[in-house]
Amino acid sequence: MPTWKEKLAGRMDPLLAEEIDVFETQMVLRRQGKLDEKIFAETRLRRGCYGQRYDNGHRHDGIRTQQLSLSDVTKGPETLWDAPGMQRIKIPFGGVTPDQLDTLAELAEEYADSVLHVTTRQDFQLHYLHIEDTPSLMRRLAAVGVTTREACGNSVRNVTACPLAGVCRGEVYDVTPYAKACSKFLLGHPDTQGFGRKFKIAFSGCKHEACGLTSLHDMGCIAVKRFENGKERRGFELYVGGGLGAVPHQAKLFDEFLPEEELLPIAQAISRVFARLGEKKNRAAARIKFLVTKLGIEEFRRIVLEERKIMPEDDRWTGYLPNVARYQETPKRQPARLNGHERPDGFEAWYRTNVYQQRQAGYAVVTVTLPLGDMSSRQCRQLADIARRFSGDNIRTTVEQNIVLRWISEADLPDLYRELKRIGLDQPGAGTIVDVTACPGTDTCKLGIASSRGLAAEIRNRLSEKFFVIDDAVKNLHIKISGCFNSCGQHHIADLGFYGTSRTIDNRKVPHFQVVLGGKRQENAAAYGLAIGTVPSKRIPEVVTLLTERYVQDRAGEESFQDFVKRIGKPELRRMLESFMDVPSFESDPSYYSDWGDPRVFTIGDLGAGECAGAVVSTVQFDLAAAERLVFESQLKLDEGDYTRSDALAYKAMLQAAIALVRTEFHDVPDHPDSIVNEFRTRFYDTNVLGDRYAGNKFAQYLFRRHDSPPQVHTRDSAHRIVEEAQLFIEAVYACHDSLTERGTVGISGRLPVQIGKTAP
Amino acid sequence: MDLYRLGIKFFAAGERIQPAEFIPIFHEWIQKQAFENHLLIDVHNYSHIHEGPGILLVAHQGNFSIDMTDDRMGLLYYRKQPVETLTEIIKPAVEGCRLLENDPRLRDRLRFHTDEVLVVTNDRLLAPNNDETFSTFEPRLSSALNQVLGKTFKLSRISDDPKERLTIRAVTITVRG
Repeated sequence: MPTWKEKLAGRMDPLLAEEIDVFETQMVLRRQGKLDEKIFAETRLRRGCYGQRYDNGHRHDGIRTQQLSLSDVTKGPETLWDAPGMQRIKIPFGGVTPDQLDTLAELAEEYADSVLHVTTRQDFQLHYLHIEDTPSLMRRLAAVGVTTREACGNSVRNVTACPLAGVCRGEVYDVTPYAKACSKFLLGHPDTQGFGRKFKIAFSGCKHEACGLTSLHDMGCIAVKRFENGKERRGFELYVGGGLGAVPHQAKLFDEFLPEEELLPIAQAISRVFARLGEKKNRAAARIKFLVTKLGIEEFRRIVLEERKIMPEDDRWTGYLPNVARYQETPKRQPARLNGHERPDGFEAWYRTNVYQQRQAGYAVVTVTLPLGDMSSRQCRQLADIARRFSGDNIRTTVEQNIVLRWISEADLPDLYRELKRIGLDQPGAGTIVDVTACPGTDTCKLGIASSRGLAAEIRNRLSEKFFVIDDAVKNLHIKISGCFNSCGQHHIADLGFYGTSRTIDNRKVPHFQVVLGGKRQENAAAYGLAIGTVPSKRIPEVVTLLTERYVQDRAGEESFQDFVKRIGKPELRRMLESFMDVPSFESDPSYYSDWGDPRVFTIGDLGAGECAGAVVSTVQFDLAAAERLVFESQLKLDEGDYTRSDALAYKAMLQAAIALVRTEFHDVPDHPDSIVNEFRTRFYDTNVLGDRYAGNKFAQYLFRRHDSPPQVHTRDSAHRIVEEAQLFIEAVYACHDSLTERGTVGISGRLPVQIGKTAP
Repeated sequence: MDLYRLGIKFFAAGERIQPAEFIPIFHEWIQKQAFENHLLIDVHNYSHIHEGPGILLVAHQGNFSIDMTDDRMGLLYYRKQPVETLTEIIKPAVEGCRLLENDPRLRDRLRFHTDEVLVVTNDRLLAPNNDETFSTFEPRLSSALNQVLGKTFKLSRISDDPKERLTIRAVTITVRG
């Protein structure tokens, strides 16, 4: 039977192809019970393979909790192998081409549920996939230059950027090439593999707009320019330690002007400091925002700058800069003004909210509004064809869960609108109150408490019905909804934000939403909203109506909603909500006891363990798991009679295990066999550290012998012997690492403890 | 059987039913685990998507949906796990139609055509959209449809666009006489 691996051979980046082969082998090992489920869980998360609700094998069906009769094999703690899962696909800065959209559509059809979902980090997500399909899915993506690597897990997540970058009328300069370079540089970088939690980076071309949302990021980069000695210099106003979640933090200013050539090295230095000093045991306090708060921004900055000084030089830090000036997008069509062209029905309303004039005369950006961030695979393919005709490769996803088509010749707008209408993607109201953002919530998320998407759909439907008569002040407000306090729907920065919670009334659970008012998206998410009170889910649409009507009625001049909220004050706002807070008894109105779009009696019994961060797996554990995989592959080659390859893989496995230990002392050990063996010999063999348990020093001889005297002739016996030796050597390294960990010589990060407040040597 | 990723759609006739009406029915099917050889898992509301999957019932072996493609409502079943014969893919779809037609909430309001069926080969690797695949697949499909539905069908390709999946329209052959 043909396979995608064979069909796409030579069409994938060799590195991506190899990574996917490795993942496929890890899947085999996990199914055979040869790879620990925690390590596999973090491994798969770093491939973007996420768990989904009910994958622990339990689901409340409204009457009772059903045990789903699936195989006992797990893909993580309490996560069944056969349970449907989610695949997140990274789209750096949201940039996507028509060919990539075609592939995404195909994958959604063949492996998922024929729906593509755009996330609040400009990713795509596919739901209800089987893990067995993911290697083929990844290969098909790799063939069009897309990776899922580090889309989830404790890693650098998708690097986001303003979707108007490069065409915005108010930007300082185009941040696209920097976002692209940063994403590429940090992807799979050894210094980003030891985090205790995820790390999010965003780029913005200006300070005043909302698009980049840099203040809520672990690392936020805002374009700035300086003139020095009569020359213009590009740089970034750099922020660190922002984040939403249950405990939102505004990012702190790290540098007013970080020169462009320092962007990547400082990002690397921050990563190293986060990996070394960030919390590992308590994941609730493991984001970098907690480290920045704990140390203070001055001390954090000092440590990062010290780290920067000792890092080995890397050509990639500045290698991309000569191409930055040459970076440009190619429009598909010639520029032309929208003059006198016939305008179809509905065009004017759509034009008012969904079209943005670029700074390049005659061109516009069109926002394609995706209800709840969703489109069908068919729409996706049709949209790709429309983009080919009008926009070329200039497509981006947005954090508002929409898609923008850039470089649209204004004269083409009526035709483009007709085409979007034909495929049902012509909804007006982009960036207005009807364009509600929502995380997946209880639809698919294991942590969801209430139905954020159900509520979003209800609010959207009600507001859309009266959109054309809504006061302009209200039209421009934003609603964002999260299914729980973790804030994936970014409720903190909405004018009207909501997050799901639950209350118990007469021993029954009732879905509720906390109302969060007055957040500020503008100025890159400058302020977070105030929690006012908790209201039953079924009354939230009325809350929206009441608050927006009061705003229109009592607004002072051009007062913003944020200022209105501040002026009215929390007690008064709370008083307004109180009339909605009562819950009737189940007998008198059972509708309160189920969620939007879900007739089951509401329960929080389906909550699972979150995989947002995964388990904290140290870099040593990853390295050793990789060594074991190599031995496994070596064994396979031995069985196939390929003794040369078997020998090479076994040797590589020993080197991989050796480097795991060496890195605990010497993080930047050169990735060369001589260096690895020398460092290992000096640090662990000569000192007898390896040998204090299970005769480890004897096993070290296996590595040294193979390194110093590779076999001249490869036979089954010689290959078999080295496979056995490699396995024993890895066991010795495991034992040594366990011993060091017990003694507290290495921390959970897999690195030697570092004293805070001391200058690194 | 190598090619098992297949979809089969039966078109609805009768009154236009709001997709949301299917949500409680699908939840009830899960409560009862209404299908033999299927583990029913979850319901998802996609009715906000224009001509999309409507309401989705997820099962381990295959997904059912109230599909709205081309504004023609129907029950679409996509097989996800291997089967021995094509009839194993057609039968759950037929069973789904029967359950819906007999549901008291929909009775006399919904029925499904059995003289027109849409079959989608949902695997671009094993079944690219070309004449060769169609020629190979046609007799097997024709036989399987006849076996399950007791009718003779004429099969034709919907589109020759290589980006689209091989999609086959099967209509019953009317014998005049």
